[in-house]
Amino acid sequence: MSRRLCLLIFTLFIINALAVDKNNFKTCEQASFCKRSRNVNYEKSPYEIVPNTLNINANYITADIVNKENGHLFVLKLEGIKGNTFHFEIDEKTPLKPRYRVVDALQKEPTYEAVKVSSSTSDITVTCGENKAVISTAPFKIDFYQKDVLSVTANSKAKMHFEHLRKKLEGEQHQQNNENEEKDNVVDNNQQIQDEPGTWEENFKGHHDTKPNGPTAVALDFTFHQSNVLFGIPEHADSFALKTTVGNGDPYRLYNLDVFEYELNSRMALYGSVPVIYGHGEKGTTGIFWQNAAETWIDIAGTSNEQNVMESIVNFVAGSRNQDAPSAHFISESGIMDVFVLLGPTPNEAFKQYTDLIGHGNLPQMFAIGYHQCRWNYNDEQDVMSVAHKFDEHDIPMDTMWLDIEYTDSKKYFTWDHQKFPHPVEMIKNLTDMGRHLTFIIDPHIKRDSGYFFHNDCTDRGYYIKTKEGKDYEGWCWPGSASYPDFFNPEIRKYYADQYLMENFHENSPETGIWNDMNEPSVFNGPEITMLKDNLHYGGWEHRDVHNLYGQMQLVGTFDGLIRRSQNQLRPFILTRAHFSGTQRYAAVWTGDNAAEWGHLEAAIPMCLSLSVAGISFCGSDVGGFFGNPEAELFSRWYQTSAFMPFFRSHAHIDTKRREPWLFPEETKLIIRDAIRKRYSFLPFWYTIFYEHERTGMPIMRPLLAQYPLDKNVFSIDTHFMLSDKLLIRPVMQKGASKVDVYFPSRNGDKQGDIWYDIDDYRKIDHVGSESVTVNAYKVPVFQRGGTIIPRKMRIRRSAILMHDDPITLVVALDAKKHAKGTLYIDDEKSYGYRQGKYLYLEFEFKDGVLSSRLIDESASYNTKTWLERVIIVGLDKVPTEATLRTSSNQSTKLEIVDASKTSFTIRKPGVSMMEPTWSITLN
Amino acid sequence: MIVNLPILSIVIGIFSYFALCDKPILRGIDPQRAQLYANNNDKFTCFDGKKTIKYTQLNDDYCDCADASDEPGTSACVSGRFFCINAGFKSLIIPSSRVNDGICDCCDGSDEYFSNAKCINNCIELGSADRLREKQLAELLKNGNQLRLELAQKGKKLKEDQKIRLAELEKSKDQANKIREEKRQIKADAEIFENDALNVYRQAEEESKKQKEEEEAQKNRVEAEETFLKYDSNSDGKVDITELQTRIVFDKNRNGIVEIEEARYFLDDNDELDLESFITLGWPKIKPFLMLDSGLFKPPRRNDEPIDDEEEEHEVEQQGGEEPNEEAELLNEEEEQHHEEEGEFDEEAQEEPQNEAPPTPQVQYDDETQRLIHEANEARNQYDIADREYREIETEFNKIKSALEKDFGPEEEFAPLNGECFNYEDREYIYKLCMFDKATQQPKSGGSETRLGGWDGWKSNDYRQMFYSNGAGCWNGPSRSTLVDIECGLDTRILSVTEPNRCEYNFKIQTPAACFAALSADTHDEL
Repeated sequence: MSRRLCLLIFTLFIINALAVDKNNFKTCEQASFCKRSRNVNYEKSPYEIVPNTLNINANYITADIVNKENGHLFVLKLEGIKGNTFHFEIDEKTPLKPRYRVVDALQKEPTYEAVKVSSSTSDITVTCGENKAVISTAPFKIDFYQKDVLSVTANSKAKMHFEHLRKKLEGEQHQQNNENEEKDNVVDNNQQIQDEPGTWEENFKGHHDTKPNGPTAVALDFTFHQSNVLFGIPEHADSFALKTTVGNGDPYRLYNLDVFEYELNSRMALYGSVPVIYGHGEKGTTGIFWQNAAETWIDIAGTSNEQNVMESIVNFVAGSRNQDAPSAHFISESGIMDVFVLLGPTPNEAFKQYTDLIGHGNLPQMFAIGYHQCRWNYNDEQDVMSVAHKFDEHDIPMDTMWLDIEYTDSKKYFTWDHQKFPHPVEMIKNLTDMGRHLTFIIDPHIKRDSGYFFHNDCTDRGYYIKTKEGKDYEGWCWPGSASYPDFFNPEIRKYYADQYLMENFHENSPETGIWNDMNEPSVFNGPEITMLKDNLHYGGWEHRDVHNLYGQMQLVGTFDGLIRRSQNQLRPFILTRAHFSGTQRYAAVWTGDNAAEWGHLEAAIPMCLSLSVAGISFCGSDVGGFFGNPEAELFSRWYQTSAFMPFFRSHAHIDTKRREPWLFPEETKLIIRDAIRKRYSFLPFWYTIFYEHERTGMPIMRPLLAQYPLDKNVFSIDTHFMLSDKLLIRPVMQKGASKVDVYFPSRNGDKQGDIWYDIDDYRKIDHVGSESVTVNAYKVPVFQRGGTIIPRKMRIRRSAILMHDDPITLVVALDAKKHAKGTLYIDDEKSYGYRQGKYLYLEFEFKDGVLSSRLIDESASYNTKTWLERVIIVGLDKVPTEATLRTSSNQSTKLEIVDASKTSFTIRKPGVSMMEPTWSITLN
Repeated sequence: MIVNLPILSIVIGIFSYFALCDKPILRGIDPQRAQLYANNNDKFTCFDGKKTIKYTQLNDDYCDCADASDEPGTSACVSGRFFCINAGFKSLIIPSSRVNDGICDCCDGSDEYFSNAKCINNCIELGSADRLREKQLAELLKNGNQLRLELAQKGKKLKEDQKIRLAELEKSKDQANKIREEKRQIKADAEIFENDALNVYRQAEEESKKQKEEEEAQKNRVEAEETFLKYDSNSDGKVDITELQTRIVFDKNRNGIVEIEEARYFLDDNDELDLESFITLGWPKIKPFLMLDSGLFKPPRRNDEPIDDEEEEHEVEQQGGEEPNEEAELLNEEEEQHHEEEGEFDEEAQEEPQNEAPPTPQVQYDDETQRLIHEANEARNQYDIADREYREIETEFNKIKSALEKDFGPEEEFAPLNGECFNYEDREYIYKLCMFDKATQQPKSGGSETRLGGWDGWKSNDYRQMFYSNGAGCWNGPSRSTLVDIECGLDTRILSVTEPNRCEYNFKIQTPAACFAALSADTHDEL
């Protein structure tokens, strides 16, 4: 009896423990550099510009900075970049050895712009275009002005803290030094650091960090003078608007970590780190990109902490704003201060300033925008094929089947388990024949197995990351004992990329997608489930310096491999878990191992919005939740939400019940089917906005404030989002909801708003503010903005690529002036031909009763079978009797008007080819 | 759908279809329904009657009818259906969305009339392969059915035999029970005499025991009083914490001082105790310590707290090594086995205690008593034999009874398989299916058998699916279960074992018992 009781208690304990084990991860207090930097508290910053050290060049200036406490010298470089951006860096003037600089994040050298300089003893003014940076010499700080508005100040809170490299003082030497100090009566903050525990070595949960370079932290604060909210710095499972952390728990942490069962509303580090933050207020948006790949903490002050959006709206309206302007205090463990100041002034401009530096997300192949079916694991060939066939049986579109780690021969990547998958090539072909794709996983850890070619090559050629003693580092991951290739070495990246080539990996296809997981890197037996910080990389850099970039460097190799695998023909599709600034150039990102809970569904939106504004638009969450078994309602609501997010994949843990849609009650299956089909009907729109994302660098998925920067009420809304500037989405994310509140934003911060049309029934909403919208199980509240034209395809095929030739439906939603505009992008949906001008980019405009089409890029062309099937006009008061199509060859055709209702009517079958350079349809 | 139509209309239908099939306007239409698409004054009315359109708008690649009736041959309507005639093979109806999507869905290629797909008409090959397959299937069914009938015969015979045997057993069970009851009576009588005789001795023994206990208690009290006086150093008639703190013997944790908590422990969590409460509350705690101190007493097993002890033991067991999740799984299994064993033990325990002869007494009994004991022993033996006999009969009776209660198919064809076991090996495991009993899994590398489920019942009423449930519990999940899919085959064996869901197994087996010739022909037509 007692045995049984014990067992019961034991089991209960385990089941209840489905939450992150916080003890596995450091707090700021436990990370000595964070603790030291966070506690910096000067009344007046000890850093000053050294007089007469100003050097003026065409595009930049330099000046020396001294730390008055110890006389240590630094160099400031400040330069102007085209498009409302400043860059500055601060490094030691003569460091004992070079400090790490991130060189792999920026896409290319920025375009610098000439600066004009004027100086006095108290300040130096650097003007670049309309903007200026004013450097105060003593104490040191920099005020950045957008035109004449003070936007952001560096070091206004005197939190600047630069731990210079030093020799470790031992025994007598140390003592002597201390005596000297007392004699000179100098209190050197940096000297105190020398003595603090944790500076020359640090222990955490039995792991020892030797810290041979001692204390190397860099920290600087930024005050956003015009802002009400701060956002950015993904990845955290928290609200979009950042919360105050000063005096309120730990700062936000950026340190790529594999967090088991991560927790919501938390500033704990997750799988990725993008150190870009934005401040936004009615007067404008400013961004700070802190280019540093080491562990980083960001202490936030002066922002609202209301959990509840409505509460914060009320406070905003009541004018009870926090007194201090919001500020962000960046603290990194090593490297230099390397900062880009993005002066906006609009949110979209600030986002674009960031992506212009770091790179725009690439246009993916069409299949990657379709629906992905994943699970850990589809067991064998038969399982894969039968699931694919079931999708056809139930007439649910699906583009990609996925294989998790179990397909490999004992977790040796680039091999197959031939018991379960005896004919991988045939299996891939069978999928391709159905218009589908396969994506399989390739993780960075390499099984230490003397029968494994990859391991032997890495061992023989010294390709693994080394321990501080120079031995191959061994960790524990899926294969058991494993080592990790040093992707920072170009030779190793080349070797790695080569492994993807058909000649090296025969059981592969140029068409398959690749999933790079566990690339934080995850090390099961390492400190904080990752690698030792004193491990050594290419160039002698410590892992400490480069940690947050590791996953991205794997992606560089994978991307190169996939490009070469198809002889530069096909656009690679890669999914990654770890990410950093620039990841959008290589891969899509998902929000990692979430759980089958309503809260995790809600968290998907702020998490992906934060990634979007940080350049990574191709984002999604595991539909259904990775851990646990979703109830039917949660599952179908998750599908509905994800159908309107850029990356759309269902995934589940190996211990969960199977959850293909048909395993749920028929009604649930039908709701899911409906949601996926809705996604597919919008594919031309999705594809167009992905193209425009590559073209402009602006996010695909946008917070409302991006489009409505003057409406204070939307600043912290993260239950809604927009796709481009055209669709407003407010998914149902509450159990048993029969209504949801949808907020229709204001353009001027007051009553002036847009007209919106419900995409399902074209119901019109033309007022600003919150409206309670009735929902049934099928309803996804989505609204098309009046003034926009959205291309759709209404023939839903079993996969996206099979819809390539299908005709277009245009939904013309009119604004108050009965005007609308939109675009459509068409190409072969897979190759790089579009970069050689093989595409069509059309602009549609409805004005004065005429819908017209023109080529935006007249030099581009693409041979398409696609034609115009129908035009749905929404928001016109009078239904015309007929319409006339005129093509460029001046032929005119009478068109029928059908399906007229109070809200809309349809122009039947214009039939004009999308290749037609210009055409128009006139309503009579 | 074809089956119920008169042959004539089929002929006409096919004729008219072929006559019209060059016209794209009638593409994708079931020949049976061709007349519904007849030209009626250049008009066509949607089947739902909601709309009338021009005849030329039929199959013009624009969906006009909400019910999709105007576009049977194109992909224009979302809910449309395309009919491929597939001459030489079976006709097929596919969703409109598969028309001209670049994939050949119809073996005659008729669905891809305007796409890049190069479809080969392979209906003839498919048709002949299909007919061959059907022929083979029919052959298999025929032969299999023969075997099934044999099984059925055996099964029925088995059932009959079992019924007869059951009746016999019922009789002999009654008989055996009667004998057992007689023996039980004889035993009871003998034990009364034995008991009376022994009581005399027992009373004497108990009295001396009682006396000893009283002396012991008295001695204990005296000792307690002495100790009380010794500790009550201020002689206020109470022993308090400070008084105990001066006695180093109470330093339980051996840190050199007697802390308040330690002292309080010996005062049974009181600050002070008077003599009486000292004797009842304090002394029982103090005495063992004093004895321990003087080396008279070896402590650990405290008989008054057996539950604690047991719990401690289990905690120790649970802490032992291994990953927690595996651990729990292991424990679950272990627990189950343990439980089973316990069950068996319980049964014996209930019925057997009387069988124990009284303990050999220290004292020498007189002759008469010894004779009575001997007689009682003899009676107990006799009863044991009778009881065993009865229980053996009962076991067989129950087994047959439960077999007779199981559903062995419409003609008892599965009955001969009852309890038969079949093995299947894959890379890692040996799977075993014991029909109508259990499914198990055993790692080839050794290790114990895991139960994947016990007989639960038929999952479908066509005897094509068995269900075995309530197997060993799964870590973080339900208990294991197994679904067995049965198909017709000339012998009985397991064809494959998979685990499509974590801890939900799927066995595919074949057996002649499932060769329902007539039955399957019917279901075939329904499809």
